Amino acid sequence: MKAAFSSYLDGIAPGLKKLVELLGEDFDYVSVLSTDSVGFSVAISQRAKSVNHSTMMTERGSVLRVRRGGLYSEYAFDRFDPARPEKTAEEARRALNEQFALLEETASAVYETAVLPDEPCELRAEMETAQLPEDCDLGALVDSFSDMSARGVKLGEHAIDCHVRGQSTHVCKLFLTVNRDMRQSYVYSEGMCAVIAMKDGAVKFGYESVSGREGPEIFEKLGEKVEKVVGIAEELLTAERMEPGEYEVIVSPEVSGLIAHEAFGHGVEMDMFVKNRALGAQYIGKRVGSDLVTMHEGAKPEIQVASYAFDDEGTLAHDTVEIRNGILKTGVCDALSALRLGVEPTGNGKRENFEHKAYTRMTNTVFESGESTLEEMIAAVPYGFLLAGMQSGMEDPKHWGIQCIIDRGYEIRDGKLTGKVVSPIVMTGYVPELLGSISMLSRDHELFGSGGCGKGHKEWVKVSDGGPYMKAKARLG
Amino acid sequence: MENFILDLLRASGADGWTVSDEVRRGWEFYFIRHALDQNRVRDVEHITLTVYKKFCEGDAEFLGSASARIAPTASREEAERLISRLLSEAVLIRNPLYTLHEPRGEAVPVGETPDLRAISGDFLRAMRSVEESAEADVNSYEIFADCVTRRFISSTGVDVTDVYPVSMAEVVVNARREGHEIELYRMYRSGSCDAAALKANVEETLRFGRDKLRAEKTPALGRCDVVLSTGDARQIYDYFIDRMAAGMVYQHISDCEIGKRVCEDAGGDPLTVRAKRRLENSSKNGAYDDEGAPVRDMTIIENSVAKRFFGSRMFSQYLGLQDSFMPGNIAVDGGSASAAELRTGRFLEVVEFSDFQVDSSCGDIAGEIRLGYLHDGDAVTVVEGGSVSGTMRELAGAMRFSKERKQYDNYLIPAVTRLGGMSITGAE
Repeated sequence: MKAAFSSYLDGIAPGLKKLVELLGEDFDYVSVLSTDSVGFSVAISQRAKSVNHSTMMTERGSVLRVRRGGLYSEYAFDRFDPARPEKTAEEARRALNEQFALLEETASAVYETAVLPDEPCELRAEMETAQLPEDCDLGALVDSFSDMSARGVKLGEHAIDCHVRGQSTHVCKLFLTVNRDMRQSYVYSEGMCAVIAMKDGAVKFGYESVSGREGPEIFEKLGEKVEKVVGIAEELLTAERMEPGEYEVIVSPEVSGLIAHEAFGHGVEMDMFVKNRALGAQYIGKRVGSDLVTMHEGAKPEIQVASYAFDDEGTLAHDTVEIRNGILKTGVCDALSALRLGVEPTGNGKRENFEHKAYTRMTNTVFESGESTLEEMIAAVPYGFLLAGMQSGMEDPKHWGIQCIIDRGYEIRDGKLTGKVVSPIVMTGYVPELLGSISMLSRDHELFGSGGCGKGHKEWVKVSDGGPYMKAKARLG
Repeated sequence: MENFILDLLRASGADGWTVSDEVRRGWEFYFIRHALDQNRVRDVEHITLTVYKKFCEGDAEFLGSASARIAPTASREEAERLISRLLSEAVLIRNPLYTLHEPRGEAVPVGETPDLRAISGDFLRAMRSVEESAEADVNSYEIFADCVTRRFISSTGVDVTDVYPVSMAEVVVNARREGHEIELYRMYRSGSCDAAALKANVEETLRFGRDKLRAEKTPALGRCDVVLSTGDARQIYDYFIDRMAAGMVYQHISDCEIGKRVCEDAGGDPLTVRAKRRLENSSKNGAYDDEGAPVRDMTIIENSVAKRFFGSRMFSQYLGLQDSFMPGNIAVDGGSASAAELRTGRFLEVVEFSDFQVDSSCGDIAGEIRLGYLHDGDAVTVVEGGSVSGTMRELAGAMRFSKERKQYDNYLIPAVTRLGGMSITGAE
C-alpha cells in the first residue's frame, strides 16, 4: 500500500503558499518546510512497560527560510492558521527584525551567500509500506514484545531482564517555494532487543536491532534475535579485557558501518569544508583507502530509515560515490554550503526537526561488497580478532582520527576462532591508514539504522550505515 | 494551550492524567569565524498528555499509562480522538499500581521572563572579546538562548508554572603552526550568559590548542594514574549518581543499597553527592521536575554511603519513596587534598577526549585521547592519540578528588579528579 500523504499538510498548503508570497515582498528568497509525522514507541521489559506516540521524527510544525542582504534567516513556528497567513508573516517579520536590530547594535558582520536557485519542481511521493503505524494493533504488539522479553529471561542463565522496544513513524513533509511544491510520505521503523545479564555483581548488555523503511511488520524479525542476544550477554559476562596493541581484525557489517559513518562520513560533510573544519577537502582526488574500498552515501542507493525522496531543503535524493577504488571523489553537501563552495547539492540537507537548522548530514552510508567469504577471511588471519557489535563512535573530521567503541572481539588464532571473547574494545587510529589496510571484503553487506547520529554533541537525525565484513589492521585498546 | 484539552481530560473517564505545556521562544546565531552565517527564531509550544487507567488481573492491581504530544493547533475533535486512543492503550501497560504526585507545599513564585535580546547580546559580545592570535583563533560558534515557560497540570490538583532561561554555546577553535592546523570543540550549557566564564574557558581552549601543536604521540604507558580537570569528569560522578536512580535500582541494573557503601573502601576520598534546588546560572533551576514534583536540596550519597534514591514517581514508589523527585542540579563535596597536591608524581592529565564515556551499568570507562599532559615529577610532555580504559568497579574505591570545585552548568564537582592505575593504550 502507499503511505498516504498528510491531509493536514494538504489542508494548510494553500495558506502556506500565501505565506511564501507575502514574505516574498520583503525577502529575495522564501521557502517553507512543514511536517506532520506521527508514530508510536512501545517498550517492554519484565519490570517496566510503556507506550507513547513520540519517536525521533514525530513532529508537526513549519520553518520559514528567508534571505535579505546576503543573510539567510529562519523562523520556526507551530501555531499556523491557514486562514490567516498574514498573521504568521507579521510575526516572522517582527521576530526577525528584533534580531536584526541586535545584530546591527553589535555591528555583526554577515557571511554573504547568493540566492538559492528555485527551479520549478512538483512532486508527490507516497512510498510503499505494508502497514502504517497509525493502523498497528498495539495490543498485539505489546503481547508479542512481552513474550519475547519473557523468553529472553528464561533462556539466559544469568539474564535478569530483557528489554524489547519498537518505534514506527509515518513521516510526511511538504516543501514550498514560489516555484516548488514537493510532498513526500514514507514509513520507517526500528526495534531492538537487549538482554541484561548479571554475574558476581558485573552487569552486561547483549543487544541486537532491526530497522528499515518498513512498517511495524518489521518487529516480527525481532523475535528471531532473542536467542542470539541472550548468547551475546552471556559471552560478555566472561569476556576478558583487551591487551592493547595493533592487530589484524575482521570487522562485522555493523562495525564497517560505524567506520563508514564516524571515521569517514563526517569528514566529507561539506558544510565542514566551508568552515575549513575537514581534512577531506584536501584529499579530493587522492588515495584514502586500498583499491578495494568504494563507498556510497545517499538517500537513494539503499532502502533504509534515511531513504527519502527529497531533503529538508527541497533537493532531490542522490546516490553519491564518495570513494571509488580507494580514491576520494567527493563529499556530500547541503544547499547553502553548495552555493558557497560552487558545487551541486547532493540531497543531504537535514534537520533534527522543523525547529532546528539544516546542516549537511549523512543518510545511508555504505561500503561496497567484495569477493570473499567470511570463512576465507578468518582463515587468512594468523592472529587477530573478529570485531562485532557497536557501542558508539565519535567523528574527528579535522584530523581523521578514529574513536570507535566496539562491543566485543572474538579471538582468531591460526585462521580459526578460539572461543575467547574480549570486551569492550576501543579502536583508535588514522582513517587513511585503517582504510588503506583493508585487504579483503565479504560478498554480502548489511545496513543498520537503529539509533541516531549527532553533529558534534547535538542535532540528532536518522541515518543508516553498513557494509560487508572487512579485513584490516587496527589499533585496539 | 486551549482549555478544552483540560475539559476533555476531566470528562474522559481516565483514572488520572497529566499535561505538560512548554512554550519555548528561542534566539539562535550561527557564526563562521565572526561572520554571521544564519540567525533563527523559534516560537513553539510542546503539549504532552498522559492518561492513566487502573485495572486488576486476579489479585494484581495495575496502573497503565499512555502519552502523546498534541499540536497546539489541534481541534477539539482531534484532542477527543487522541485522548480516547490513549485511554485504550493505557490498559495494555501492566505496571504495578502507583499513584501520581499530589500538590506539595507552597507554590514557588514564577520568575521573571528572561530577556532574550540581552542574553544573546551578552553572548555575542563575549565571543568577540576572546583574545585570539595568528596561532590560535575561533573557527566557528553557535549561540542558543531560550526562554522556557513550563506549566504542569495533573488530575491530582498539581498546577505549577516555571519560567527560566536555557542557553548553549558551541565553540570550535583552531590552532596552527607551519602548515599544521588542529581543532578543539567545546559545548557550554548554562542558564543565561556568564560572559566572563565563557571568555576564560574559550581562551583556555585556545591555549590547549597551541599545546596540541607540539604534542607527541602518547606512549604505551600500561597502567598509569589519570587526572581529569575538565567537564569530562562529570561522567565519573554520573556513574555514582545514575546508580542511585530508583529506575536503575528497581530494574536491578544498580546494586546500590541504602546504608551501604557505593564502592569498596580502598583509600580514596569519601564521596558526598547532593541534589541542589538551585545552582548559580544553571540551566536546570526549574522549581519542579518533569512530573510536577517540587525539587529540593537532598543528600544522595554521604561519605560514600548510599543515603537516598531519587527518580520518577513510578520507580520511586516501587522502592517505597513517597516524596521523591528528579533533581536538576548536582553538587559533589570536595575531597581532602588540594588540586596541586593531586597533581604530583607520575600521572596523565587528559584535557581533551574524542568522547569520554563511563558506562553506568557496568562501570566500563573508555575514551580516545585528543590532548593530554604526561607528568613525571617536574617533567611535562604534551601527548595526543591512544586511549584510556578501565572500570569504575575497580577504580572507584581509590579515587581522589580536590577540595576546590568547579561548576559545569548543573554540576558542581571537584576541580580535579584522580583515578589510579588506568590502562593507557599508546599511539606510537
